[in-house]
Amino acid sequence: MNLTDPAVRVTGLTKKFGAFTAINDVSFTVETNKIYGLLGRNGAGKTTLMQLLTGQQFATSGTLEVFGASPLENARVLQSLCFIKETQKYPDSFRPAHVFASAPWFFANWDADFAGRLAEDFRLPLNRPIKKLSRGQLSAVGVIVGLASRAPLTFFDEPYLGLDAVARQIFYDRLLEDYAEHPRTIILSTHLIDEVSNLLEHVLVIDEGRILIDQDADELRGTASTVVGKKTDVDAFVAGRDIIFRDGIGALASVTVTGLGEAERATARAAGLEISPVSLQQLIVQRTTSQPSERDADRRAPGQRGRTGAGNGHSAEGRGDTPADQTESKTDAWSAHS
Amino acid sequence: MTDLLTSTPTSVHPRSAPARIWNVVRLHLVDRRTYIGIPWLIVGMAFVVTVFFAQIVGFTNGGLGTPDAIAGQRYSWAVLAPQGYLIAVGVQAISFGFPLALGFGVTRRDFYLGTALLFVLISAANALAFAVLTQLEQLTEGWWIDTYMFNAIWLGIDGFWVDLFSFFVMQLLVFFVGASIATIYMRGRMPGMLVFWSSLALAIAGAVTIITFTSNSPTVAIWFGAQGIAGIFAWLLVPTALAAIGGFWALRRATPKN
Amino acid sequence: MIEAGKPIFVQIAEQIENDIIDGVIEEETSVPSTNEFAAFHRINPATAGKGVNRLVEDGILYKKRGIGMFVATGARQRLVGARTEQFRANFVGPLLAEAVKLGLTAEQVASMINAESVTDRMASNS
Repeated sequence: MNLTDPAVRVTGLTKKFGAFTAINDVSFTVETNKIYGLLGRNGAGKTTLMQLLTGQQFATSGTLEVFGASPLENARVLQSLCFIKETQKYPDSFRPAHVFASAPWFFANWDADFAGRLAEDFRLPLNRPIKKLSRGQLSAVGVIVGLASRAPLTFFDEPYLGLDAVARQIFYDRLLEDYAEHPRTIILSTHLIDEVSNLLEHVLVIDEGRILIDQDADELRGTASTVVGKKTDVDAFVAGRDIIFRDGIGALASVTVTGLGEAERATARAAGLEISPVSLQQLIVQRTTSQPSERDADRRAPGQRGRTGAGNGHSAEGRGDTPADQTESKTDAWSAHS
Repeated sequence: MTDLLTSTPTSVHPRSAPARIWNVVRLHLVDRRTYIGIPWLIVGMAFVVTVFFAQIVGFTNGGLGTPDAIAGQRYSWAVLAPQGYLIAVGVQAISFGFPLALGFGVTRRDFYLGTALLFVLISAANALAFAVLTQLEQLTEGWWIDTYMFNAIWLGIDGFWVDLFSFFVMQLLVFFVGASIATIYMRGRMPGMLVFWSSLALAIAGAVTIITFTSNSPTVAIWFGAQGIAGIFAWLLVPTALAAIGGFWALRRATPKN
Repeated sequence: MIEAGKPIFVQIAEQIENDIIDGVIEEETSVPSTNEFAAFHRINPATAGKGVNRLVEDGILYKKRGIGMFVATGARQRLVGARTEQFRANFVGPLLAEAVKLGLTAEQVASMINAESVTDRMASNS
């Protein structure tokens, strides 16, 4: 196993659950020692993809290499991975102390002091049964394992559910600090794009089982601009450009386009148009909400939208979800947008 | 990037297969109460209850220590009190242990072998403990108060070695039955459960029907009698092995539930 | 501090440039490390490094082995020169475009600027 290879190399990966295609002919690579954001709506296939990468699910077709080899039943590869799911199950009688006591047997780089400091930061009661932890405390257990394991390839799957704003900030800060000292490949799956976008070096956007965007986060950040102005002026300006999103009210139009250079921006301003930057979240929301079914209307029969639950970690049976938690998990980038 | 490039890359030294399997055993045992604390607590409570009822049985039969009173206690199942709990432990070893082990980067194979090794070790320890306790109970003539809990059902009849062997097989069967049920659920979810239980019910009904229709019930009873305690438990190794192998086969393609 | 919709490495580079122009960081003194920038702005260290490296490529910063990054001599003057050029493109151009739209003459615009500068900060600059 060569840790300088791409951490992940995926070609034509497909995963079907019966008639439902959770991952649809996906190809990408993940370079080592970068922080990747795996972004997408609930049910887009994020968790399924991570389960495939960690050998927890079996691919229907395609090839999949992690550190140069298939992760399936491959102890050498799996020892370099850490994947604590959002819906992670623990033995019935377990307390956080049991998790942290056993973690070093599986993670060669485990830092017990770091885990202890994190438990204090998150105010996690180490000797309370896991069954009795709040949703946020349960998330903290997974976050601490993910951070303190320092696995060469670490997955965080919606790691912050139920964590309050302070705890989430602690997570982001500790992640950055520790990553700076111990560089490793991190894949952070989330739908709260605004919160994490500055942490990411590379962005993978998955939508309906396909990779929609696979790009350097900073490059992506500069790619799109929204042009606002009189509909006729805007239409004249954006004609022939790559239009991501179009909105309008009365005679006003607001169109998001990619690939505007400095000179073109100046031209637009001179023509009396307003040019505003598009945040990573806005950009991704627009790319994943526009023309959702044109792309594959033939693939999906009407009414099948709701079936996306088969491949993700958001089944309603998650433990101890309070109504408040449910609300929070739904207030993601996309629902906030609409 | 400059700062990053100068730092040491994270690396992992591969562990050997025996070390990995042993770590799965340790994972199951990190909470000692599950396999050791609670079962022996149940044994302790069963003993208290046994002492209590022994006094009543002895009293109604005209005093403790009479042959009738001792024979009566042999019908008590108190010695098997922890087994119901241990079936549930076998189920949970898979249903909760498997998803956590996968999250910790354990292969299905290592997880299953480690879990099987754990079952063998706990079964051996329990068998030794119960066989020794059976001997002690005989030596002390029912703990000096004519109370027999361990000399019950088949234990304490054919001597220490048969007790040791039979308890070991029984314990292992209990664990693997629990584990294989959980594994089949993990692999096939509810449809898998339906298929499993209906085929098991069909097989048992079929066997009973065949034995009844061929008027072979006496033959079967005689056959069982001829096997002796050691023989019957030796035969129980067959379903134990089937459960163990079947569990392994099912787990190799199982995926943790979300 | 970090705004959306603009590459972060550009923003980091611009902030260091601003600090040099404002004299917050003097020439031949060291700038914070990449990891310090990353922790302070809560951004990816590689992205922060990209911003710093851009200034190294531009000759604004230079690397002292094992010590860190330093501001080059003459960096401030070069930055002011470049920024003046940008100022013309980014502000004067759109200003005039707007003026044309409103039907203002060049004299009117100039007198508006003079009126502002008398009362405002440019007075103290001169």
